[in-house]
Amino acid sequence: MKVKVDAAKCQGNARCWTWAPNLFELNDEGYLDPGDVNVPEGEEENARRAVKSCPERALTLEE
Amino acid sequence: MRAAVQPVPDHVPQELVSSFNLFTGPGMEPAPMGDPHAAIETLLAGPPVFFAPGNTRNGEGTWVVVRAEDQRRVLQDGETFSSNRNIFASALGESWPMIPLEIDPPEHSKWRSLLNPLLSPRRVIGLEPIVRERAISLIEAMKSRGTDADVMKDFCLPFAVSIFLQFLGIGSERLEEFVGWATDLLHGTPAQRTEAARTVVSFLDELRDLRRQEPTDDFMSFVTQARIEGESLSDMEVRGMSVLLFIAGLDTVAAALGFDFYYLAQHADQQELLRTDPKRIQLAAEEMLRAFPSVTPVRRATRDVELQGITIRKGDLVACPSMTANRDPAEFPDAGKIVLNREDNRHVAFAYGPHRCLGSHLARREIVIGLEEFLARIPTFRIKPGTAPITHGGFVFGVDNLQLDWSEQEKAQ
Repeated sequence: MKVKVDAAKCQGNARCWTWAPNLFELNDEGYLDPGDVNVPEGEEENARRAVKSCPERALTLEE
Repeated sequence: MRAAVQPVPDHVPQELVSSFNLFTGPGMEPAPMGDPHAAIETLLAGPPVFFAPGNTRNGEGTWVVVRAEDQRRVLQDGETFSSNRNIFASALGESWPMIPLEIDPPEHSKWRSLLNPLLSPRRVIGLEPIVRERAISLIEAMKSRGTDADVMKDFCLPFAVSIFLQFLGIGSERLEEFVGWATDLLHGTPAQRTEAARTVVSFLDELRDLRRQEPTDDFMSFVTQARIEGESLSDMEVRGMSVLLFIAGLDTVAAALGFDFYYLAQHADQQELLRTDPKRIQLAAEEMLRAFPSVTPVRRATRDVELQGITIRKGDLVACPSMTANRDPAEFPDAGKIVLNREDNRHVAFAYGPHRCLGSHLARREIVIGLEEFLARIPTFRIKPGTAPITHGGFVFGVDNLQLDWSEQEKAQ
């Protein structure tokens, strides 16, 4: 499972980080840097929640 | 109170002109025991884009974009939909932008990059102890005075203002003075508003000049020392930033807490659930931000653009009420229901796009900590019998005079 990140759409809402702090790393400004996120076993539910919480729809899940 | 309603521009089709506006539409004017969010939710049953005459404080009409997906398109495209409106300055007959809100992309991003680190999620964690200390001291003071209080006056507003003062580097001994200015600015007569606006501006200007000479470790010192592309910030730029900081965190946080207490006072079961299991408060606060947001971002089209088959002309204003997007059934299952443990919640209380509320992470912590400490310290509360809080719509939705009662005797009845 992978989360595709459209970094140009990220506006630093940080809802993904709230749900899945182990998956998403925020930069000093509190935004996501470009680069997709691999989801290790056991983090799938958090990844789903993170994707569904992004107001900008900057994240998509790839099963 | 407001300027006269301006005529509808010729290019707006008559069938798209509504009688609704944020100030005088149904359920928008101040009303005892009102529910302005439910009132504006009814717009979801109508056309997705329509024209509202008199939808701004200066009487100008705006398009209203009702649905979440369309609002996302408008607010994510800051070049087509400009936020450069000089709202605060024009009320004083002046012209300077509040920064970064009233600066458009691409220039906007350099200002955000300067300020984002100061209010990032991680930085805000460091502010938690002081936020909690302020909440506790205001709640305990209120509690020591009796078993009922106007929580807007005694908690929500002074709480929000004291966090601002802390951030700006001003001692809390000036709290009452600032709360007075804030109250005049938000609720005063037009003359009081202008007077308060001038007072706030000159106070912030003086503080700026002081910190330029003798910097400390506060926000004002940071911005007076900062450099963008090698240049120091001008006096007007520092003013634009500090004024925005003051007004953005003021009635918004107070309104969010006010609507939360108003809701919880009328839903004792939900209140008890949060009190007995405080871990639920974080999700509940998000759901209440979805259900009771207060802000309507307004943008001006910089070119002709089509939305839902309607042509918005260059120069037209476009309003995106967060309240309707947050109850859009295309965005949320059971959108009209308040579900305090809702998990998938991409609400727009802090807007979409590049102007997403810079203070959102601090605001969230203020709201959660405010609720935690209030529920931990104040027993079951309800609206004081014989009183009726006044709610209002408008540019920023709010609730005034929220008298809560937590006496044992009342509880037993």
